[in-house]
Amino acid sequence: MNWNMILYIVLNTAFVFLFAPLLISLIKKVKALCQGRHGTPLLQTYFQLFKLFKKEIIYSDNSSFIQRISPYLNIAFLLVASIFVPIVFIPAQESGFGNIILFLYLMVCARFFMALSGLDAGSTFGGMGSSREMTIASIIEPTTLMACAAIAFILKTTDIPQMFGTVLNGSILQYLPLLLVACSLFIILIVETARVPVDNPETHLELTMVHEAMILEQSGPKLALMELSYGIKQLILMALLINIIFPWGLATDATVSGILISVASFIVKAVILAVAIGVFESFFAKIRFFRLPDFFIIAFFLSFATILFELLS
Amino acid sequence: MNTLGIILKQTLEARNIKCLLRETDASEDHVCIDMDSFAETLQFIISGQLLGLIAMWAAEDFEDHSGFTLFYVFENHNVQELLVLEVKLPDKSAPSIALDFPIACYFEREIKDGFGIEFEGAFDKRRLFLHEAYPDSFHPLLKSFENQALDMKPEEQKGSEYIFKEVDGEGIYQIPVGPVHAGIIEPGHFRFGVMGETIFNLEIRHFYKHRGLEKLAENKKPSDCIAIAESISGDESAANAAAFAMSLEKINACTIPERACRLRTILLEMERIYSHLGDMAGMQVDVAYPFGASMLFILREEILRYNALFTGSRFLKGIIVPGGLSRDIETEKLKDFNRYLAGFKTRFKEAFKTACDSSWVIDRFDTTGIVKHELVSPLNLSGPIARASGAAIDTRRNHPYGTYDRVKFNLPSKNEGDVLARFLVKADEIKNSVNIIKEIIDNLPEGPVLSQCSDNDGHALTVVEAPRGQNLHWVYVKNGVIDRYKVRTASFCNWWAIEHAVLDNIVPDFPLINKSMNLSYAGNDL
Repeated sequence: MNWNMILYIVLNTAFVFLFAPLLISLIKKVKALCQGRHGTPLLQTYFQLFKLFKKEIIYSDNSSFIQRISPYLNIAFLLVASIFVPIVFIPAQESGFGNIILFLYLMVCARFFMALSGLDAGSTFGGMGSSREMTIASIIEPTTLMACAAIAFILKTTDIPQMFGTVLNGSILQYLPLLLVACSLFIILIVETARVPVDNPETHLELTMVHEAMILEQSGPKLALMELSYGIKQLILMALLINIIFPWGLATDATVSGILISVASFIVKAVILAVAIGVFESFFAKIRFFRLPDFFIIAFFLSFATILFELLS
Repeated sequence: MNTLGIILKQTLEARNIKCLLRETDASEDHVCIDMDSFAETLQFIISGQLLGLIAMWAAEDFEDHSGFTLFYVFENHNVQELLVLEVKLPDKSAPSIALDFPIACYFEREIKDGFGIEFEGAFDKRRLFLHEAYPDSFHPLLKSFENQALDMKPEEQKGSEYIFKEVDGEGIYQIPVGPVHAGIIEPGHFRFGVMGETIFNLEIRHFYKHRGLEKLAENKKPSDCIAIAESISGDESAANAAAFAMSLEKINACTIPERACRLRTILLEMERIYSHLGDMAGMQVDVAYPFGASMLFILREEILRYNALFTGSRFLKGIIVPGGLSRDIETEKLKDFNRYLAGFKTRFKEAFKTACDSSWVIDRFDTTGIVKHELVSPLNLSGPIARASGAAIDTRRNHPYGTYDRVKFNLPSKNEGDVLARFLVKADEIKNSVNIIKEIIDNLPEGPVLSQCSDNDGHALTVVEAPRGQNLHWVYVKNGVIDRYKVRTASFCNWWAIEHAVLDNIVPDFPLINKSMNLSYAGNDL
């Protein structure tokens, strides 16, 4: 491991850590503005996390070590996954680094432990949330794999930094089918971040919750870690989507100006995408639980069509 | 016109049953019988199939009878007056009528908790509003019980355990929800029996916030109790205050000024508007469509501000008093409100269209939580729930009070009985209420708003149409103070509709079904 790689890991992780909470507040703000409300300040999520870190932790008497370790595991898996998605600059290549299949499975591991911790306390809602999450996961994962396969197929690589590099060096016109996959990546982003129309992150109705139900038993700093991992997951999925279809601005070497331009351009792109998500969410209602596959099938179809186009052209 | 009473009296006399038709005002027919002839009288009422039971309560030492008296109120939607059957009990037991009138099950359990009267042959003898913390011998509505703190000795004094219906089988489990919820809402316990996500049984247990309002009113001067009536349910204060005031006005044979009568109608309709706006918005929030909901929330807030402007209270408290209104509303303010309503109509239509244009919202509403028409009469459902299930009933139309026999309004009715039908019925009712208010403001006479009423003894029954359905108030004044005050809100009966509506629906749809009915926890549990 060379200095370039170490610098990359430190900077990329630090950026993900610092920027993730802002996006959560930003989407909330956009939704509030759509409803004609002022909404909470943009720094609200930071305040919230800060407050939670100072609070006491309470565990249910029925819970085991799973509930205690899962917040750490969850955030650890997602932080490792975040290294796979370059945001500050594309590091000098090393073999085997940044594989998209490994990336997906790191995300799945995080989800697995989150679902386990939901079941662990033995409360009704945690179990219900976990069971729904697993139902959704089993339908969305083939779609995610199909979308990633389509990207890998078009860009002829399974390495995420290389994918970004390929698009960056070429022109989007060379890779038009990517726009189709981008649509399915957007749907996957909505599903993975538990947003309307799949789940409602703002609900207080415990019977309809999916993601929120699983973390209902967490408290204090452990809840803060769960919230933070949610933010990180959202950020890296957004980064994946942004940098695959629109990587321009992303630096390929570790110069100060390059990194600054990368970060600045990424923030602009992420803000635009966050606004798009907020507006998208505002104009949809939550879909009936058993009709979710109808929504996922769009993403599946688009990815599948992309592969077909590539094969036939 | 004492049609029902006279028919019953003649029939009973033909069978040599002793009965007495009490002298009351035109809105109720009051027939007194003895316990011995109860079975035969009831048989006659059942065989006619024209009357539905709408309320039941007990009183201790009513008039000259020492002991308990049971009151059964029956309604026929085509007859203006209600039929009250007064039965004197020789001892502390009565036959149950729950098999013939299912809703009586809840009334009987309520009476048993309050007075300790046993109902023989009842299929459900569990306690209703008293929880396990109260000893079995505790009956708060007895005259012998003074309103004081209860000496709660732990453990040995605990009441019998409340047993829920058992459900079992492979893959079947129960979900206990509440009384403490994730959001800031009132307490209620819901026990679901589910198979995966599909609900096949729901049992509701409420009464976590019993305030003892009926007991609280006893031995108080009638005019002091208007505040108690107003706090039955926060968003039905105008309807309940009006019902209580009308009961006293009937007892004292007091006519209120025409202006006050019309202004009351305006207030009652404003209550309906803001309540329905909140419901329609809440239904959209529950399907995660806050964009559509916010348009309705804004309208609701504006109506609440007009409430505050007219009465000093956003929830219309402190204005309706026995004899009329405590203060006049300036005609200038009403004119201004009339102009506002013109714009309100357009904006409401726009907000309604926004919801209807979203296929995602309509898809969630359609076919969700169906209340079957067959349930309306046995469970005594009323209000928008009944009207969305094919029953065109409305107390304002069936038993007009105030100015409702003089104003024109349509009775919206849908046959589907699902969440969408309730949504549409509520939307239509808002439009009707706006028209009623406009019509009244245009023809409002000047004059006083309060007339002096005497303080007589007596008893009177009043039914009104609150936003959630029919509320019933019965006031009995003895020696200048209230001796018994009975309230039955629409929520008390309508709550049980949910147990039926959720069957075959999935758990994530329950909050939506619940919100589409928006029943009151407080109004249910006095």
